[in-house]
Amino acid sequence: MALLQLVDFHYYYGNIHSVKGIDLHVDEGEMVTLIGANGSGKTTTLQTISGLTRARGVRGKILFKGQEIQGKTGDKVAAMGILQALEGRHVFSKLTVEENLKTGAYLRKDMAKIREDIRDVYRRFPRLEERRSQLAGTLSGGEQQMLAIGRALMGRPKLLLLDEPSMGLAPLIVKEIFVAINDINREGTTILFVEQNSKIALATAKRGYVMQTGSIVIHDTCENLMNNEDIKRIYLGAS
Amino acid sequence: MFLRLLISGLVLGGIYSLIALGYSLIYKASGLMSFVQGDVMTLGAYLGLTFYRILGLPFVVSLILTVLCAFAFGMLLEKGVIRVLLNKNVLPIYVVLATIAISYIIQNGVQLGWGSITQYFPSVFSKSSVKVLSVSVQPEALLCVGASLVCMVLLHFFMTRTRFGTAMRAAAMDPTAAYSCGINVSMSTGITWGLSAGLAAIAGMLIGPMYGVYALLGSMIGSKGFSGAVIGGYGNMYGAMVGGILLGLAEVFVTGYISSTYKNLIAYILLITFLFLKPTGLFNERAIQDD
Repeated sequence: MALLQLVDFHYYYGNIHSVKGIDLHVDEGEMVTLIGANGSGKTTTLQTISGLTRARGVRGKILFKGQEIQGKTGDKVAAMGILQALEGRHVFSKLTVEENLKTGAYLRKDMAKIREDIRDVYRRFPRLEERRSQLAGTLSGGEQQMLAIGRALMGRPKLLLLDEPSMGLAPLIVKEIFVAINDINREGTTILFVEQNSKIALATAKRGYVMQTGSIVIHDTCENLMNNEDIKRIYLGAS
Repeated sequence: MFLRLLISGLVLGGIYSLIALGYSLIYKASGLMSFVQGDVMTLGAYLGLTFYRILGLPFVVSLILTVLCAFAFGMLLEKGVIRVLLNKNVLPIYVVLATIAISYIIQNGVQLGWGSITQYFPSVFSKSSVKVLSVSVQPEALLCVGASLVCMVLLHFFMTRTRFGTAMRAAAMDPTAAYSCGINVSMSTGITWGLSAGLAAIAGMLIGPMYGVYALLGSMIGSKGFSGAVIGGYGNMYGAMVGGILLGLAEVFVTGYISSTYKNLIAYILLITFLFLKPTGLFNERAIQDD
């Protein structure tokens, strides 16, 4: 049984049919990517899994460990172990780095383990430790992305969702972030991420879905996708 | 003269601060203005009067019961009116208009419940005056200053040092991200409205023994508390505290040293002056739209 499964999933923003019946699954321990152009419905899909869109727009099923979760509010989904680092990072700008991390562990009561996990985030992203008492709003874009991922990790995710982790970042920082994402997956966390930078997405994940105007047009292993002529031409910018 | 004015200024300022806090907390959590703050203060004074004078309960017990009732009222207001309107996708300005309607409903409601004449709120202490240095003051005045300061210090610790207070600030800063951290933002917003109503009710119970209790008790104080919130930086918790106290002091000193003609004018002159010259208030709260 897949950890996460979307069955004929649709999303409507009022009259706009923005996701048009997609099927997608993520197995335990896997790292899967969802790529596609701007406005193809990737973020809507991820936000709906997390319970952050309006429930009335959802049709079809979202199953987590076989249980239907569509229509649950964001806090309930987070409590089940699905945690997301949002598009545009969304750090709490007037809280310190450490307060942001603690807020990520809001649902947990195990104080000793929380402290341990904070140290773990600092080990993974040493720059956050240097800035632990700084307000998150004063961090650079890359540091904010590290904090957003760190904050999601503080909830001990069973499924980690990442929305455009590379957005607006310099190539060197993007590389650093994706090395960390790869490590997180290797250490056992299941990851589904959305990315516009198809090159790095396909190089990092094992399987990929390609989304185009609300539908999934191709689904394959990343290796095959990278060698697919259409994908090369449209998404990887090869001539 | 100076010391007497200072104490009266702090009494009034403490009250304004408690009201101003409500405006700012609600603005931060909901992005709305609630014009019921002053009338919840009136309601608090009537509830306090009922528990303390009519039912004969001890003052502290009456205060606690009043705060609990007001908290429930504030939360119900958010869940039963504000949230319902917002879920219908009503524009925020119409929700603000609804709060104005509720403000008048409270003003008339308390007259239905408790009558239209000014009610006497019995004194809290047996002594009618105490000496502070050379000045004799009503002990209730000192209680008012002390209690409002204690409320502010407690609020500060709650908001910055507790898990739930930090979560409330996070929810107000970025609701989507707060949800994704597992915070029940809808609940946190309701609690913010409850907390604001509780603070206003405390103000009502503190001022009752000095002013008496009548239906319009909170309407003037409510709008001045609003002014205090703007002076401090609308939406800023510490701004509300400082802005309220400064406004109380300004009002009393202007009345004392210049003329009582300006008593009710100074708050609004300061309000408009700040809007023109320093809309971000004393604590530099965001007030200008980004381009």
